[in-house]
Amino acid sequence: MADSRRRTIIPLLPAQRLPSPAGTGVRFSSPPPLALYIHVPWCVQKCPYCDFNSHALRLGDFHSHGSNERGTAAIPESDYLAALIGDLESALPLVWGRRVDSIFFGGGTPSLLSGEAVDELLAALRSRLPLLPSAEITLEANPGTVESGKFAAFRAAGVNRLSLGIQSFNAKHLKALGRIHDDHDARRAIGMAASHFDNFNLDLMYGLPEQTLAEALADLDTALSYAPAHLSCYQLTIEANTAFAARPPVLPDADACADMQDGIEAKLAAAGYRHYETSAFAQAGHQCQHNLNYWQFGDYLGIGAGAHSKLTLHDRVLRQMRWKRPEQYLAQAAAGQPVQEEFAVDAADLPFEFMLNALRLIDGFDASLFESRTARSLFSIENQLRQAEDDGLIERHRQHIAPSDRGRRFLNQLLQRFLVERA
Amino acid sequence: MPMQHIRNFSIIAHIDHGKSTLADRIIHLCGGLSDREMEAQVLDSMDIERERGITIKAQTAALQYRARSGKIYNLNLIDTPGHVDFSYEVSRSLSACEGALLVVDASQGVEAQTVANCYTAIELGVDVLPVLNKIDLPSAMPDQARQEIEDVIGIDASEAILASAKTGLGVEDILEAIIERIPPPKGDPDAPLKALLVDAWFDNYVGVVMLVRVFDGTLRPKDRIRLMASGSTHLCEQVGVFTPKAVPRDALRAGEVGYVISGIKELQAAKVGDTLTLLERPAADALPGFKEIKSQVFAGLYPVESNQYDGLRESLEKLKLNDASLRYEPEVSQALGFGFRCGFLGLLHMEIVQERLEREFDQDLITTAPTVVYEVLLRDGSLLNVENPAKLPELSKIEEIREPIITITVFVPQEYLGNVITLCNQKRGNQVDMTYHGRQVQLVYEMPMAEVVMDFFDRLKSVSRGYASLDYEFKAYRAADVVKLDVLINGDRVDALSVILHRTNSIYRGRELAAKMRELIPRQMYDVAIQAAIGANIIARENVKAMRKDVLAKCYGGDISRKRKLLEKQKAGKKRMKQVGSVEIPQEAFLAVLRVGK
Repeated sequence: MADSRRRTIIPLLPAQRLPSPAGTGVRFSSPPPLALYIHVPWCVQKCPYCDFNSHALRLGDFHSHGSNERGTAAIPESDYLAALIGDLESALPLVWGRRVDSIFFGGGTPSLLSGEAVDELLAALRSRLPLLPSAEITLEANPGTVESGKFAAFRAAGVNRLSLGIQSFNAKHLKALGRIHDDHDARRAIGMAASHFDNFNLDLMYGLPEQTLAEALADLDTALSYAPAHLSCYQLTIEANTAFAARPPVLPDADACADMQDGIEAKLAAAGYRHYETSAFAQAGHQCQHNLNYWQFGDYLGIGAGAHSKLTLHDRVLRQMRWKRPEQYLAQAAAGQPVQEEFAVDAADLPFEFMLNALRLIDGFDASLFESRTARSLFSIENQLRQAEDDGLIERHRQHIAPSDRGRRFLNQLLQRFLVERA
Repeated sequence: MPMQHIRNFSIIAHIDHGKSTLADRIIHLCGGLSDREMEAQVLDSMDIERERGITIKAQTAALQYRARSGKIYNLNLIDTPGHVDFSYEVSRSLSACEGALLVVDASQGVEAQTVANCYTAIELGVDVLPVLNKIDLPSAMPDQARQEIEDVIGIDASEAILASAKTGLGVEDILEAIIERIPPPKGDPDAPLKALLVDAWFDNYVGVVMLVRVFDGTLRPKDRIRLMASGSTHLCEQVGVFTPKAVPRDALRAGEVGYVISGIKELQAAKVGDTLTLLERPAADALPGFKEIKSQVFAGLYPVESNQYDGLRESLEKLKLNDASLRYEPEVSQALGFGFRCGFLGLLHMEIVQERLEREFDQDLITTAPTVVYEVLLRDGSLLNVENPAKLPELSKIEEIREPIITITVFVPQEYLGNVITLCNQKRGNQVDMTYHGRQVQLVYEMPMAEVVMDFFDRLKSVSRGYASLDYEFKAYRAADVVKLDVLINGDRVDALSVILHRTNSIYRGRELAAKMRELIPRQMYDVAIQAAIGANIIARENVKAMRKDVLAKCYGGDISRKRKLLEKQKAGKKRMKQVGSVEIPQEAFLAVLRVGK
């Protein structure tokens, strides 16, 4: 065929909708707020319900670092510190120029770190990334591994919020959960936390093996007696690949757990705590900024072994995971290759991912938040929204969407409606 | 081949007594297949049949055998379907033969179906040669088995051949006995054509393939043929024999067995038992014994998702190509939407169809409880056949409801006799006869077919530890005091759950059914009320309490892929359920009625 007879085909789609080779066909005008997560992957011992990336310290694991009074090995602190800083530096190009609004030391057991190590790390972060002056900086602590001096040092280093994994004040239940602390340790730790931090969180669990409603509420009463700024109350869930999954304990039935949840919510409301997320309650002004960022589908850079990141670039949402096993992470970070997995989220999956987070918020979200975080119009999920509204699972007021009381309780059923079927 | 050198025979045997193995041995010995081709038991061609150890698609093999006398014989082995639902097909296969091998497991003795098929053979004038198989097993008791054959079937078993199909022992003796003791076929190759349609199936390339036994006359390609019962005419395109591979021949003559291809597109046009004759020179009368197949058991088949309706229809169409006994017509259920009411020869036939739809055609099905056909005499004198309980007219219009009664024959070892009698009594059976034959007892009962359809097979198996065997035949329609039991979900009658039951156990069954449904329906976001009702009377009520919450306790920035998978799994689980109103009902709940009354 002669060249002259060829027609030029002009694409009808606007150019910006054509995906770049690595992009996923979306276009973000501005990135969301950024949070920093630092993972400390060690614990004195692994709890049977825990499915986080944590590894029990065994005597002799890291001989050069000596051992503490419990007879367990200390963590390889200086190596890990160096790895975290190297990790951060290799990640800088992805978050260049962006401000960090909150920092969270999670684990594992971050309170195994020394005060000096936290200080050194925070200094290194401040020198490499702009940090919001009022940034919330949280550190998780295990009531079984705290000393007053250490809390003072954390505070001095800049940590301004402490989160204590109390779980229960009942010695029997703490034992069933495989915790290394008992009820005395729990009370002592809270006392210490309160003397150094005005802003602290207590984690409580309910639906524990053979727990009664009265016992669950007694735990809550004890917690409330310390007037924590924030409380997280979780129902114990048996997760895959945990000791509990292999040998399931006898748990209260679903109705008993629902009774506990009702009782807990009522008690907390009466005590002046706002229920703002599925399992989170706070006094006025003390919602956890770092976690709110997750639930508002903000960005986060996670450094440390097995840490996950979600980063919005101009044309895609990137998810990353750092090398999971601590030894491997140390080696890979030293080699400048801390990332084990990385992929761009399929644009079609962004609405579901947004909902998975944002519908956990009791107050819900504005349409504009959905649109800026997913680069999609809310209209793209109008069918699901209308159906959910008809079924009484969400409430809509103008441009605002929030789960109804029913939607909150049956969140899984609500979220399923936003799943995109894969071919 | 002269007729004196032809022998036509079948094998009668109980499932697992070694019919397929023996058939394979015989084919192998006659050089029909190579060792490699022998690997699979060739006569059982479909997976499902192989798993269940039965053969429903009759195939045949025309074999060349050089006898000890040195003469060459043509042995036509005609396979017979091996299940109780296919007794008519068995009778047609047997009537194509002059002889049949009665294969009995020497360690187990005779079984009900074998006996029934044997009686059929004797009635048809077919010579029966007893063979005691599995003689190599230490548990073999040939004398006792011989005695049972004589007692129960009433034929001389003194010359029964001892054999082991597994090792090959005695197989040649069997072939020699076929030649010596089974008469050659009779018939006139020059008379008007009379050929019995023994079996037919659909081939994607040539259309319907008919397996025929020529009694009189000769059939050649280009002959115009007429099927005497259906009245249709066709052009004969090809004739041939199976060795068991298909080999074309120039003609099929009186006494021979082979296949005919004549461009028939639909299996319904080639009815088993029909007579083929020539259009130009027709036979005066058809061969005796033809019957229209009637469905005995009906059930509704519905797609789990309504958008799979077309897929289900196409699958049924394809299945029907190869299963002339399957009936279906579109049906609309208020609860289940569009689907099909399907008719089956019996329960096993229904299970096979269901399984093939699910496995071969990948259909997700909701099957309603199987039902028999009730004859309903209305006050205005008209007679109605009801094959769907939901369609039973109002009681005020009904004069009488009649249910099908069948005669069942059970063979059971003495130690389980008590259990079986108890079961038969529970199932409203009336004992007609009880005879002791050595180790076994033969029980004959008259029983409502509806009771057999419910769960009789499974329970007979379990109360006899699998040792009882069963055969049945239709006896008559009899007036019965039956009622319709409805199930209401959240106050709405679910038509697909209605069942017809005898009044005496309807209340008990209704209560059990509601309780069983409560177990099967998972907790949902709302309370689910399950009621059983007879007419306007609610006889049972159960409640599936709403679950109180369904939410993931923790979700932070970490690995969301696991949370996603969990939600996907939950969603997939719901998809396998049928949405009736706002209630999700799992597939098995529609068959819950089969699981009560134990």
